[in-house]
Amino acid sequence: MPRVFITGLGFVTSIGNDAATVTRNLRELRHGFEVFPPFQKPEIPVKVVGTIKDFATNSTDPEDWTFPAGYKIRRELLRTMAPSGLFAQCAMMQAVADAKLAEPDISNPYTGLYAASAGSPYLLHYHNDRLNKVGVMRCSPLGIVASIAGTLNFNLIAAFKIQGSSCGFSSACASSAHALGFALDDLKLGRQKRMFVVGAEDGNLDAILPFAGMRTLSLQTDPNLASRPFDAARDGFVGTGGGVALVLETEEEVVRRGVTPYAEVLGWGQASDGWNVAISHPEGSGSAAAMTLALRASGVVPEQVDYVNAHATSTLIGDISEARALRSVFKDSGSRPAVSSTKALTGHGLSLAGVMESSFCALAIREGFMPGNAHLTKVDPECEGIAILRATENTAPNIVIKNSSGFGGANVALVFKRVA
Amino acid sequence: MPDAVLPNQGTNKPIPPTNKPFSPEDETALREALKRCSPSAFEAAVQFRKTGNPEHVPAVVIGVIERFVEPDLRVKLKDADDDLRLIEDLGIDSLTMMEIVILVEDVLQMTINNDELRNLRTVGDVKTFIDCKIRGLTLPKPTKFIPIEHIGAVMPVQPPFLFLNEASVSSTAANGKYKITGQEFFLQGHFKDNPVMPASIMLEALGQLAVLYLLEGAPTEPGKVVSPQTIFFTGCEGVRAHRICKPGDILSLSIKPKRMKMPLATFEGAIRVGQEKAVIAEEITLTFGIVDAANAPVSINGSSAHAGSVGSSAGVAPAATVPPLRVAMNATG
Repeated sequence: MPRVFITGLGFVTSIGNDAATVTRNLRELRHGFEVFPPFQKPEIPVKVVGTIKDFATNSTDPEDWTFPAGYKIRRELLRTMAPSGLFAQCAMMQAVADAKLAEPDISNPYTGLYAASAGSPYLLHYHNDRLNKVGVMRCSPLGIVASIAGTLNFNLIAAFKIQGSSCGFSSACASSAHALGFALDDLKLGRQKRMFVVGAEDGNLDAILPFAGMRTLSLQTDPNLASRPFDAARDGFVGTGGGVALVLETEEEVVRRGVTPYAEVLGWGQASDGWNVAISHPEGSGSAAAMTLALRASGVVPEQVDYVNAHATSTLIGDISEARALRSVFKDSGSRPAVSSTKALTGHGLSLAGVMESSFCALAIREGFMPGNAHLTKVDPECEGIAILRATENTAPNIVIKNSSGFGGANVALVFKRVA
Repeated sequence: MPDAVLPNQGTNKPIPPTNKPFSPEDETALREALKRCSPSAFEAAVQFRKTGNPEHVPAVVIGVIERFVEPDLRVKLKDADDDLRLIEDLGIDSLTMMEIVILVEDVLQMTINNDELRNLRTVGDVKTFIDCKIRGLTLPKPTKFIPIEHIGAVMPVQPPFLFLNEASVSSTAANGKYKITGQEFFLQGHFKDNPVMPASIMLEALGQLAVLYLLEGAPTEPGKVVSPQTIFFTGCEGVRAHRICKPGDILSLSIKPKRMKMPLATFEGAIRVGQEKAVIAEEITLTFGIVDAANAPVSINGSSAHAGSVGSSAGVAPAATVPPLRVAMNATG
């Protein structure tokens, strides 16, 4: 089976809108949180969000949006986008440039695109509201493609003239990790030579606030304290949006094009908790099984793993489950692997999380560091027994695991390796 | 996704003029709806809503279309004639068409039926359509696009003397295209080592487009059709050639009827290559006759029958369209 490499990345995230800024903020543990104006009402107890800077998408009309001048997007494309679509489009443009892809490399039967987003609750709400107000025949003909769960893939496939595999993934917070895993399979099985994997979320009130009903959002008002994965004082996750695009290519294409990859993707695994619709398994059984399968598929033993970028979102139950899963998988690994959750810096990107954090791993591998677990004062006793990194370590990890878990108890683990 | 614009549940009645005065709230809503349109479109919409005068409608419609056209294509609308095509020339797809319609419905307070939209191909079609809706008039026959197979099936003229690759015919005009391939037999001698499309042949091409108009677009009495065997050239006036046309050039032909009185039909015609004027004919006059539809040699008003009936064209009498030119051709060939 062909080896597969990450050759391009693009970022629109709460900690930066380009690879260099993201890398610096990961290293220096600078978070992207702000007090979010739409939440500043007495009846909304949640206050902090991982905000996207330099983009203004708080209108239902995409032609009102503003974004950095370097991105030229025609109205024809913009009109069918949700905010997440705009973020993804910009991330894709970065990834294409980063991977040095020419138009024929993008639009051909051997290049595909897998995307993950929850759609746009914001626009879905608006368009359905219009439908009730002005009648069926007067509502926007583009409301559907701009707002339902597949909106990302619909838009990106058309915008980039994708001819290969395409699909949207919907496993909540595991979505884009699933997308990456299945994209890897397509390449390993020889179906495709190149895959774009994209995740994006609106990250606005409509996307984030419904999680407050589940009591999963942090109620902290201080942006410096809101997201504290594995900390004893954590009180929930901080929502975020944005878009990240990642380019996977087979070794043959990497050699043919003469590009330098960030990292190799060795393999992946997935397993389900079979437990609860929204609560993770108390022992982290699905997550542990996903890691074990991913390591086996990658031909790697647990002792070889240097760094785990945890799913840990800063929720009470989820972080403990994952800590237990890590303990069971790495029980014979001594003081390794180093573990951190970069959600302490970005917040939880929901569908976006898997590909965003996989891209962080790619940056860490190439740039030679392991980001620390920010905002950690006192480790929750339930989360002890794993080597949580308190500060960034300036050594390059050789083998890295990225964990993602979603509603329904879906768990994905991906394994990356440094290119020697 | 064609399914997105399928069967219609809307009504197709012009909204009767309301006696409700145009309020400041209406004006605010109108300004918001037209905020990305030109000020003149907004002004025209205000005038229309205040007075109900249909003369203001074209400015509104053009303003709305312009707003949905990509900025680099808007220049085409500035001095557009009514033949400017929505899809091919302006890049408007069916979804954008829906956006245009919904905004026009909103600002002009009218309802448009999905089925009617399918026939709107040009800016002129849209203007005529909206105008007829507002005045409560019956809609004219929509512009019909005629592919090469259909042209071959209905025309009395046949290759190698047919100079139309594609054509569109409405009740008020016909447009066509012909690409000079360089393989035309007469170019071997016209001229020696220097192939130039004869002006006489270009006039012939305009004549052929006029024939197609008579067969496909001209209004006739019910049950009657123009017979292909009855059409002949009678004369032309004011013919000027402005540009040498050579292999590779795409001739854009257009004719408009000026007078139609049995048995004579007079047209004005023009040929352009890109934006450049190539040939102008102030008048081309053909003679024609009508027959009962049942006696017509090939059905010429249906549309589906033609597509598969190329073979039947062999049965059409090879009547000359423009006899003098054909003679000239025979002499050259």
